[in-house]
Amino acid sequence: MDNYFNKVSRKDVEFLEKLLGTRNTSTSEEELVANSVDAYPGGFHKPEIVVWPESSGQVTEVLRYAYERRIPVYPKGGGTGLTGTVPMYGGILLSLLKMSKIIEVYEEDMQVRVQPGVIYDRLNKELEKYGLFFPPDPSSGSWCTIGGMVASNSSGLKAVKYGTTREYVLGLEVGLPDGRIIRIGSRTFKYSTGFDLLRMMIGSQGTLGVFTEITLRLKNLPEYFRTAIAFFPSVESAVKAVYQIVRRGLDVAAIEFMDEKMMKAVAEYKKIDFPESQAMLLVEAHGSKMAASETMEKCIHVLEENKPIEVRVARDVEEREKFWAARKGAYPATLRLGRYMIISDIVVPLSKLYDAVQKSYELGRKYGVQASVIGHFGDGNLHVHWSAGNDRGKVEDLHRANDELAGWAIDVGGAVSGEHGIGTEKKKFVKQQFREAFDLMLKIKKLVDPKCILSPGIIFNLEEVIQ
Amino acid sequence: MTLPEPSEIERKLGEYLEDVWKCIRCGFCNSVCPTSNTSRSYMSSLTSRGRLILLQAYFSNILGKSLRDEEIQELMEYCFGCRRCIEICPAGVRIPNLIWRVKQLNEKPRYLRKLILAHYGGLLRLFSKFPRSSNLLLHSDLGKILLELAVGISRKIDFPSFNHSLEEWINKRGESNGSRGRLAYFIDVFTNYHEVELGKEIVEFVEKLGYAVVAPPQREAGTLLLEEGLIEEARRVAKENVESLYDTARGGAKILTSSPAAYLALKKDYPELLGDTKSRIVSESTIDIIQLLLNEYEEARIDFDMSSHDRLAYHHSCFTKASGLTKDIRRVLILAGYNLEELDVCCGIGGIWGMNKKHYHISLEIGLDLFNELRRINLPVASQSETCRIQIKNNALVDVRHPFSFIVDRVKIKKE
Repeated sequence: MDNYFNKVSRKDVEFLEKLLGTRNTSTSEEELVANSVDAYPGGFHKPEIVVWPESSGQVTEVLRYAYERRIPVYPKGGGTGLTGTVPMYGGILLSLLKMSKIIEVYEEDMQVRVQPGVIYDRLNKELEKYGLFFPPDPSSGSWCTIGGMVASNSSGLKAVKYGTTREYVLGLEVGLPDGRIIRIGSRTFKYSTGFDLLRMMIGSQGTLGVFTEITLRLKNLPEYFRTAIAFFPSVESAVKAVYQIVRRGLDVAAIEFMDEKMMKAVAEYKKIDFPESQAMLLVEAHGSKMAASETMEKCIHVLEENKPIEVRVARDVEEREKFWAARKGAYPATLRLGRYMIISDIVVPLSKLYDAVQKSYELGRKYGVQASVIGHFGDGNLHVHWSAGNDRGKVEDLHRANDELAGWAIDVGGAVSGEHGIGTEKKKFVKQQFREAFDLMLKIKKLVDPKCILSPGIIFNLEEVIQ
Repeated sequence: MTLPEPSEIERKLGEYLEDVWKCIRCGFCNSVCPTSNTSRSYMSSLTSRGRLILLQAYFSNILGKSLRDEEIQELMEYCFGCRRCIEICPAGVRIPNLIWRVKQLNEKPRYLRKLILAHYGGLLRLFSKFPRSSNLLLHSDLGKILLELAVGISRKIDFPSFNHSLEEWINKRGESNGSRGRLAYFIDVFTNYHEVELGKEIVEFVEKLGYAVVAPPQREAGTLLLEEGLIEEARRVAKENVESLYDTARGGAKILTSSPAAYLALKKDYPELLGDTKSRIVSESTIDIIQLLLNEYEEARIDFDMSSHDRLAYHHSCFTKASGLTKDIRRVLILAGYNLEELDVCCGIGGIWGMNKKHYHISLEIGLDLFNELRRINLPVASQSETCRIQIKNNALVDVRHPFSFIVDRVKIKKE
């Protein structure tokens, strides 16, 4: 496979420089290295050239050329991905950061059309003027791009109410590997016209096409928030409360879980006193003042039915911020446990949440690593933070524990990734996850990109595609 | 090209080498880094995260260049030590401190510049002895060219005028009787030599509160040296200042600052550079003039005249944010009756970074959004940082002053 792709030659560089201008191409060692990783703690994979197209037309020209020359192309947004979507086979790194225009806000339709390189937080700051927002709220929102979010169907803390990126994408303009451009979806909330190619593209992590324009539906900014945290004597009682909140149809915007180990790490890092307990839930309701208050009242009732040690309701914005700061402190807190840490992203049916936590503990014991659990429990998404402190010798065990948990999640009807994607990190689970459907996915990839120039090595192994 | 032994470079980075590996490449630092706001920041190597990736790549033997190479050093120079990233980094990477250590590796001969910067406090002191001739020289075309050639300060910059030093003024007056004890004023160069009137106003005000003000022998705060990667020089300056201030602090007196760079140096930089008890005690005894006002208010010794409710733009300077003083300044301005329009955006100056010929245009690009917004709202501006005030004044053409200047006339000292 080493010689399957052509290397970027001097002639290729000249072509790209002529097409895009010298300011929009770089082969400097520093720029190549700076684009050789994402936020996944994997190795460095340098591209051979970095290019910054400024229009759909330029994207398709790059693709057409690369397709003819059989040179790999890796589209990239903010580079905040957590699954190793990096230039495994070198080639062209197609950065979309110069395509960062908010093209049009359709206020009456509650929609926006953007270029792929718009940063999530910047978009929401602009939309605030219209009383609108794009809700998925990934924790990387300050630097991730809308194109990257669509490519990995990302979401975050509020998915239980607002769903994931997928629920908001109405239309896409996509550059296909051979340089053709297609427009899929529509600016309506529903349509019944053939195959849903839009959904096929969402979460494809740059393997089927390059998104050059994205139309999103939006939500009204909520006028009121109510937030509470509850501490439980057992994981079981906390999980039971989660199940009951969802089962009773309470319209919550977030149900966040933190286990004892995570609370301990956060308490040390943030200098917060938590009551002695095994689990914590943070619950939030959004809506009109009346609706949010009513939802929260019902939630508190459910929390209390499950005999918590303590329930605290935020009295004002400042207290709400403190509750969220405790929850959002989980990631930095576990980073301080040591250099070697990986995070799982499994998602399971709600009925399996308790088992998932127990399974994590079991695997932690089995491999001698620390398993601290947080999660967006309202939608069954768990992030187990596997830590080996500074013990380099335990790194393999971290991966073994993580892999075994991912396999278990698939077996109980869940998935290896709730919101981060597959990339190179979880590739080994794709067949296990999709079983017979994997062949169909592979056929689709071969049909759309027979030369496999788009993001080779991501989701699929190169050999599988070109055989 | 022969790569230097990594062990030598590792030694220079010291404990900060660990920070290279702490970075998880999440990109949060990019979202607050002023250098993400230039026309070339689409390039990863010009961003904060990009610089950290380059360091990780170097120590993983991936980067085919030495950290001493000119191209790498040029990229490191993009970081001007604003410290906004420290607050947001989830992994606790001390990014500016790390970059200062990498800048130490710069081997480019720049002896004159280094010599001048290492002694800039002394030079400014000399200029202030002869303000009239110094100003004539520095404002002349010849002076500007010399400054550009020697230190790299762009000839387009109008260097602020010199005055006889505040330190001299305080010492000439002799110590007043302070029923409430002494305050040792750690002034830093700008107020000491350029904005002397602000310093005098502060001294006279705190004397009215019942404090005696002294100016112990002192050098510049030295933040500039850190930003230039002149760590040993910065350590020497820190040591001299701490030695001079320690006796005051040990005697229970407070050390007063009005410059965010001076405050940050005493509070955070010196204990980090020296790691000794003396610097810790000096740090604990340091108080900013705005904090002092707030304490006085909380102890019911002063009140504010809230009869007028003028609108005021409050610019959060990078150093004020890094020192944690933003909240206190906001509170005092509101107590003094101002309706604030807050602007949490870097002006691009970064101490003298933006005055450097090499960075002058980038600095203006970074500040452009702020200048436009300030022109649009057309309000007087409060900003605690001295160089931010120069940048804002020159580019937004608005009235910009230290927050104290907006507050002092509204303070009512209660009678005992």
